[in-house]
Amino acid sequence: MIESDRTEERATRARRASRPRPGTRPPGAAPAAGSPAAGRVPRREAGSAALPAAEPLAALEHRHLLGMRGFGGEEIDLILDTAKAFAEVSTRPIKKVPTLRGKTIVNFFMEPSTRTRSSFEIAEKRLSADTLNFSPSSSSVVKGESLLDTARNLEAMAPDMIVIRHKAAGAPHFLARHCRSHIINAGDGAHEHPTQALLDAFTIREKKGRIRDLRVAIVGDLLHSRVLRSNIFLLNTMGADVVVCGPPTLIPAELARLGVAVTFRIDEAVEGADVIMMLRIQRERQQGGAFPSPREYYNLFGLTVERVRRARPDVIIMHPGPMNRGIEIDSAVADGPFSVILEQVTNGVAVRMAVLYLLAGGTLGELAG
Amino acid sequence: MESLLVKGGRVIDPATGTDSVLDLLVRDGKIAERRPSGGGRGGSQAPPGARVLEAAGRIVCPGFVDMHVHLREPGQEHKETIETGTRAAAAGGFTSIACMPNTEPWNDGLAVTEYIVSEARRRGTINVYPIGCVSKGGRGEELAEIGDMVRSGAVAVSDDGRPVANSYLMRMALEYTRIFGIPVIDHCEDRTLSAAGVMHEGYVSTVLGLKGIPAAAEEIAVGADLALAALTKGRLHIAHLSTRGSLEKVRRAREDGVPVTCEVTPHHLVLTDGAVMEGDYDPNTKMNPPLRDEEDRRALLQGLRDGTIDAIATDHAPHHLDEKLQEFDDAPFGIVGLETAVPLMMDRLVRAGVVDVKRLVELMSLNPARILGISKGTLEVGADADITLIDPELEAAVDTSLFRSKSRNSPFHGWTLRGWPVATIVGGRVVHEMQTAATR
Repeated sequence: MIESDRTEERATRARRASRPRPGTRPPGAAPAAGSPAAGRVPRREAGSAALPAAEPLAALEHRHLLGMRGFGGEEIDLILDTAKAFAEVSTRPIKKVPTLRGKTIVNFFMEPSTRTRSSFEIAEKRLSADTLNFSPSSSSVVKGESLLDTARNLEAMAPDMIVIRHKAAGAPHFLARHCRSHIINAGDGAHEHPTQALLDAFTIREKKGRIRDLRVAIVGDLLHSRVLRSNIFLLNTMGADVVVCGPPTLIPAELARLGVAVTFRIDEAVEGADVIMMLRIQRERQQGGAFPSPREYYNLFGLTVERVRRARPDVIIMHPGPMNRGIEIDSAVADGPFSVILEQVTNGVAVRMAVLYLLAGGTLGELAG
Repeated sequence: MESLLVKGGRVIDPATGTDSVLDLLVRDGKIAERRPSGGGRGGSQAPPGARVLEAAGRIVCPGFVDMHVHLREPGQEHKETIETGTRAAAAGGFTSIACMPNTEPWNDGLAVTEYIVSEARRRGTINVYPIGCVSKGGRGEELAEIGDMVRSGAVAVSDDGRPVANSYLMRMALEYTRIFGIPVIDHCEDRTLSAAGVMHEGYVSTVLGLKGIPAAAEEIAVGADLALAALTKGRLHIAHLSTRGSLEKVRRAREDGVPVTCEVTPHHLVLTDGAVMEGDYDPNTKMNPPLRDEEDRRALLQGLRDGTIDAIATDHAPHHLDEKLQEFDDAPFGIVGLETAVPLMMDRLVRAGVVDVKRLVELMSLNPARILGISKGTLEVGADADITLIDPELEAAVDTSLFRSKSRNSPFHGWTLRGWPVATIVGGRVVHEMQTAATR
């Protein structure tokens, strides 16, 4: 099911890849920063996506990072391997490399964000890119300008990449259709938050050495969570065994068809888990009435020390933040020995550096050299 | 008035059980004579001065009737006007349309109904029948002056775009309209369930992270309406029915003798919610009711075959490009349909073997005319000469840039379809003729 969807999506994107762009390298040249058109551009021989790779991928096949759906294991490995190389930069006394010097990146955040936005900004600065922050309070959006006009005006200033956070699912796809820049989805409505899933995967790989065959429990508000969707797509592609848990009022329709086990009981979900990923109760997105009170939610779904004991002894506890302490997670767990929540934040910078670098046309080989 | 000879076409007129090659002689805007076509001997002689329309190889059928159109005038002329909407209808093979009352102001009384009727006479290309509001201002509080509107030409009432949410008001409407014998057309939607939803709730909405509208939102309202129709014996017509559950409820109610009819749209017959994913959040796949899943779509096709569905209506909902060029969540619901309905149905229903042409003519001409109580939908002698000619072999791609409609919001741009309307005749006057090599 999921596999055939992906194939269709690839076909759709390939059909769309038609708009030429001035200033790109000629076809056949090394992977370029500005390849033609939206979506996936095969950089190896046609049809290679379906074949087993003879060697690791050198460069990204996608032109944009709109979501994890449609990303293959090789591409994910490439991003994580590249992130590993960049992680070292952040430990240096001078945390800066000239890799993206002369590139302009717009951080277009239409929804409040502290963590993701700062993380992208730090990543961009450590790569020596020029950055522009653009948010509703400081922009013409409050004057009623449409997303399309705003995007076109940003484009007119010729940025190389646009990082977008938006309340509407599909807003990054909208930009990708109408802009020449590379688009990075930093969270769109309840759809996807791909860099979060990538940094989660990086953290898991660092801690566990692998992702394949790990039992990952994801618990919380599944309905409104873009982190959930990106993680499901990524973890399934990487061969993890995913179980999700939340109140039935916060589970989207036919979620099991995404290839996960679904339960309403947290004790079942965390049983034998290698990884427990807690999702935030998004009170600002609730229509209201999905559960009677935070107190009852905590009793039924909160991650407590007792519940963690059901997991494997070397379990890691993750949370994309910001946390509602005492609602979805007990402070004793959040700050406890199994928690890797702050490491996730640290890794976020390295993963975002990797994404920016690879979308700009970089290769892991160049970086190592 | 001049006379017209429609010569040598395959005349399909379900009302008279006709399916044969005939010449139709039109005089003074009426069907004057129907004669067997002469075939090789040259056939009927046209009366002196009569125009001859060669129809060999064409289907000649009663003009199509679209009982669910939004003409947007008065008040939203940037989307559509009576003039452009009727030209689009003529180009799409429609000779009569009924227009919904959710204009600005709403058509809830004499003034707006008369405005539409007179504007349609002055600038319209085809017949326009206004549908009045059920309630004043479409607010769902108290009955509008339905008698006034019927006297001015309204053929049905509806608060379309909004459901009649209040069961008491719906009961009053179904009872009160019995005076006039007109149907109450309801947009069935439980808004407490559909609130903020933008697409069908199911696998695809989950993958795309879009807020869903469950099938139950429609089915609950259909169930309530059917109960009230059974209670009142008023004439209920369900607009743009879209789920298998709704269809089953209608089927059972009809077995119980409840006076109910229903329509489906072409887009619910050919597209599913998968189109939202394939289109990468294309706002032209956003409509209400939303595109449903494949099982629903198949059930609707079965409903066409077994007679549960009475009519196909476009729910032509023009929106300006700027309005649709937004985030999926913010774009308005609806697509245009007048200029794609006939070729879509010829290609995807008739050519695909779902129904035959005769049944399609019932669904798109005879039945909607009967539901609205207008004397259209037939080619019997003495009937109004409203005629649509279809070339069943003509193949062409949908090109929204050629639309007569002011709006271009169609998900069918670029679709290659076979079976297009090539001439439209209203009251004996040729109001549209497709100018292509194939039609000469």
